Amino acid sequence: MPDDMTQNAPVVALRGIWKVFESVTVLRGIDFDIHAGEVHALLGGNGSGKSTIVKIISGAYRPTAGTIEVSGMAQSFSRPSEAHAQGIYMVPQEPQIFPNLSVRENLLMGLVGDPVENAERARGIADEIGLAADFNAPGGELSIANQQLIEIVRGLLRKARVLILDEPTSSLTRREVTSLAAQMRSLTARGIGILFISHRLNEVIDLSDRVSVLRDGHFVLEDATANLTTEKLVEAMLPADFSAPVEQETAAATALGTKPVLAVRGLSSRVFREASFEVYPGEVVGISGVVGAGRTELAEAIFGIDTDARGEVVIDGNTAPVRSPQICQEMGLSYVPEDRHAHGIFLDLPSAHTISSSLMALGRSRFMAAAKEMELAETFVERLRIKLASPMQYARTLSGGNQQKIVLAKILAPAPRVVILDEPTRGIDAHARQDVYRIIRTLTADGVGVVVISSEVGEIAEVSDRIMVMKRGNLVELPAGVRSVEQISAATFDTNGEVTA
Amino acid sequence: MKLTGFFKSWEFMLAMVLVIELVVLGLINPAFLNIENLLFSTSDFVHVIIAAVGLTLVIMTGGIDISGVSIMGLASIVLGLMFVAGMPIGFAVIAALAVGSGAGAFNGTVIAKTDINPLVVTLAMLFLYSGIATGLPTLLDMLGFKAYGAGGFEAYQYEGIGGLPKSFTWIGAGGIGWVPMPLIITVLIAVVASYLMTRTRFGRFLKLIGVSDQVARFTGVPVQRTLITVYALNGFAAAVAGLVLTAYFTSARSDLGAEALLNIITAVVLGGSSIYGGQGSVLGTFLAGLVLGFLRQGLLALGITSDVVPVIVGLLLIGSVALKIGMGVLHTKRANRAAYETERMAVAQNGG
Amino acid sequence: MMRILKSREFLVLVLLVVMILSVATVNKAVLYPITLINILNSSLFLMLLAIGQMFVVLTRGIDVSVGATAGLSAVIFGFALNAGLPLPLAMLAALVTGLLGGMVNGLGVAFVGIPPIIMTLGTLGAYRGLMRVLTGGSWIESIPQNIKSFAVTRYLSVPLMVWTMVAVVIVVALLLWKLKPARYFYAVGDNYDGAYLLGINVKMTRFWAFSLAGAFAGAAAVVFVGQIGFVPMQTGNGQELKAIAAVVLGGVSLMGGTGSIWSAVIGALFLTAVDSMMIFLKVPGSWNNAVAGFVLLAVVVFDFLIRRTVRNRRLAARAAEMRRSELDHDGAGAPALVQTPEATS
Repeated sequence: MPDDMTQNAPVVALRGIWKVFESVTVLRGIDFDIHAGEVHALLGGNGSGKSTIVKIISGAYRPTAGTIEVSGMAQSFSRPSEAHAQGIYMVPQEPQIFPNLSVRENLLMGLVGDPVENAERARGIADEIGLAADFNAPGGELSIANQQLIEIVRGLLRKARVLILDEPTSSLTRREVTSLAAQMRSLTARGIGILFISHRLNEVIDLSDRVSVLRDGHFVLEDATANLTTEKLVEAMLPADFSAPVEQETAAATALGTKPVLAVRGLSSRVFREASFEVYPGEVVGISGVVGAGRTELAEAIFGIDTDARGEVVIDGNTAPVRSPQICQEMGLSYVPEDRHAHGIFLDLPSAHTISSSLMALGRSRFMAAAKEMELAETFVERLRIKLASPMQYARTLSGGNQQKIVLAKILAPAPRVVILDEPTRGIDAHARQDVYRIIRTLTADGVGVVVISSEVGEIAEVSDRIMVMKRGNLVELPAGVRSVEQISAATFDTNGEVTA
Repeated sequence: MKLTGFFKSWEFMLAMVLVIELVVLGLINPAFLNIENLLFSTSDFVHVIIAAVGLTLVIMTGGIDISGVSIMGLASIVLGLMFVAGMPIGFAVIAALAVGSGAGAFNGTVIAKTDINPLVVTLAMLFLYSGIATGLPTLLDMLGFKAYGAGGFEAYQYEGIGGLPKSFTWIGAGGIGWVPMPLIITVLIAVVASYLMTRTRFGRFLKLIGVSDQVARFTGVPVQRTLITVYALNGFAAAVAGLVLTAYFTSARSDLGAEALLNIITAVVLGGSSIYGGQGSVLGTFLAGLVLGFLRQGLLALGITSDVVPVIVGLLLIGSVALKIGMGVLHTKRANRAAYETERMAVAQNGG
Repeated sequence: MMRILKSREFLVLVLLVVMILSVATVNKAVLYPITLINILNSSLFLMLLAIGQMFVVLTRGIDVSVGATAGLSAVIFGFALNAGLPLPLAMLAALVTGLLGGMVNGLGVAFVGIPPIIMTLGTLGAYRGLMRVLTGGSWIESIPQNIKSFAVTRYLSVPLMVWTMVAVVIVVALLLWKLKPARYFYAVGDNYDGAYLLGINVKMTRFWAFSLAGAFAGAAAVVFVGQIGFVPMQTGNGQELKAIAAVVLGGVSLMGGTGSIWSAVIGALFLTAVDSMMIFLKVPGSWNNAVAGFVLLAVVVFDFLIRRTVRNRRLAARAAEMRRSELDHDGAGAPALVQTPEATS
């Protein structure tokens, strides 16, 4: 099928697109297209620029430079409704639901034409794609799967020729994923082009006709899915300078005689169950898992952000019955959150303020004199090789890699015994990534225990001494010999072909 | 870069505006520049500055408290009622300040422990505290407390409580040399608040919470405790403002300061604070308060009706925010363009 | 049906009825029709302000200038009448004044991007000052007394104004319910990004919300002047805060998207009734504000507790769903996958 499709002009084509945000370049002159009746999968690590492409195609962002062509005609979208008019509809990662409006209104909002007629069409389409929901119930009561279907119906109501599905499966149950896969097939059969984004490689292999892999703002691979395997995709997504990890013998050295710096025993929350593991001084425990598997929830439960979790956490030999970020840091545990901008760094303050914030929160310096604060910041700027004009430079104007180093400086300032790094290299360039790995090695050399949580299998393989996998709320340790990228991928992603059902 | 420099000197700009304002008014009417008059005329409006300084700390966290104007009246009437009930005036002052701080802490507790918008919470408190202030006299009567005079506490409800001792009214009318007491108190409060904000952990916490309460929480900042404290401090400042005004008018009333809300918030925003939090300075608020206060004095001295003052104040408030928004948009556009050109050039040079 | 019973409007309505009935056990006079009609009549001004406020709050804004807008409209209304304009034209002048006042707010908030609280606080001062400048600070009296005629006219012993109000409320309710652009107010407040992505002109929607708030303030001014027959300087003073309290009490969340015209109506009725009940209970009027503040605080805190419970339940349900699905499928289970890599590589 893809072969005869590629002969035709693409429905949507991006030509030489650039996008710059807050002085950070996200896309560097990319070309990309979607044909009728195909599923074109877009892959890339966090922060590689996927969602920016999606938002440009769907009219939410305007490119800094470059053109968009629809059926061969140049177009310029200044708002999403203009993309809708050209038959392009995006189903966002988080479905945009109006929780207080009825399902009917959720479907029809923003649609032109006669409401009664539209409602009938909506009903027809909903039946067709299997959206079983009471049209009078409020949108807030819909399940996530149905919220996604609402978005698809919205797109079809607008006679979309191209549907963009941005990580539609990340928060679905397996049964829901299976049913979504069936929907996608019936849509392409009707000639609709689908841009499909997913972290789950097996889904990409099973569902797509063509795959493009994005890394650091440009494409590194584009090929028909038939020529690809999950292994090839994993390889393409790895950073350019990635070298296969050398088999290390470090893990064996850690356990004997020493006490763990972090012990988690039977920790459970709504999202994960009975998680248990130990971290010894000087070792790196990698936790692999896809988005939504429960790995961030686990970290937040350990660090006392989620206070509802039940179970035991021992930090540096001391049990912490009640945990909060203050208590954890006081006891020697620090945490780099997954979402840097929302939870990690104070964007609208001088970088030095973020670096000193954890020490201030701990009360180890009651009145931090400006000079002392600068001194602290400069120490870390040097130690972590942070590139900035001055520690007073606002964090917002720094690159992702330097922002991440500032977060690292913040959590290292109190000299922790054990650190949890959640997606430590998300959205940062290859050079900064190597710097982060170097920092991790320095930490372990100093006897600090490190937990690295990542959805990038290559990263887990590179940095970890021991590897654990979090999948759908279950945390399992891989046997000592199992540490190749392929092996970890197999355990992390659903590669047993269930989605084809 | 040039732009951030500009905003860093917002206080400097305000100081310039203040100087120009005084010079212009002085040129028109030289009597206006009599130092003693000038200083003593501040007593008419410093209560706005005191309350605005407290509010600056709150707005720094991204919150707001509009109930301060009610707390002013509440503190005033508490002082008056304690006095007519026969308590020593010093004790009455302490009680009034405690009530104000307590009311503020209550605001902070509700705001910190729920996700209800601070504006809604303090709107309810605005009614609640002003209602308690007006209702307190009759309540005391009902509870059987005894007051001086024939009509019980209720007699004081509308005309206010006069006859306060000299030792107290001196706070409003007295002075040290040419400097009136209300101004001394205002400067004192501003200095302490400024010190808190710029030199202490607490002040830094306010800023961190204002920039992002989520990041602050993940960093281990005691967000709830800080919020409760800052609203309590705001309540304290409002109570001080109420007492200063009471001493100045030599009468304790429950409706003191009720119209000050617009001026208070304008002083804070014009002073350079962002309503979204994380940005602002006590010095800016102090200067903006002086600019606004002298504006009124000056217009009156010029024989212009004071009716246009709120019009000007309102326009200043809107204009200063619109100006900041406009410059911010320009700045971002330029920065993005510059970054794109640099990247483009780098790629071209690498032949990519 | 269940949805109505569970709604905040209904909760406050029940509270209102309970309050009136319990006061009636002390003083039967509360239940006389004339008392209830009087409460209704005196709530009209606040009700109109609250309906206008509702549009703004629905879109996640706030308008603290509606009282001042009403004051300014009242002054223009008074001027127009004194200039000899016929009543309908004078009314139109008041409405247009309000509308313009609201449009200024809408421009600043929607198109310039000034935070609503700042913008409307600024115009609060500006309009109130303007009102004093226009009148030189004195009341407008000597208004032709025939304008009071429409205030005292009664059908079936209910004032004409109340009937008009009933009609207005029904019309607005129908429009809000059925008119497509009217639903945009809800959509924008409920999910701003979603509304934008679906092609709704979010800026225009916010602009019209503020404009309508102004127009309703103009209408409130007409009612006010009609009822008292002159224009005091205090017209609308402090009423903006009461209007906000009324809609929030009635269930319009400041986070946008929830509530209806009934929220405004019942909220305004409740706050007015509280004042009347105080009289019947012989509680001094000085406690009115305290009671209103306490009720508002209690209702929003209660609402918070309910929302939190509902949210927790929904999260728990979703987690349980995930878990069930896992059990259904996981014959092989996660550990088994560890064995498979050899096969794939």
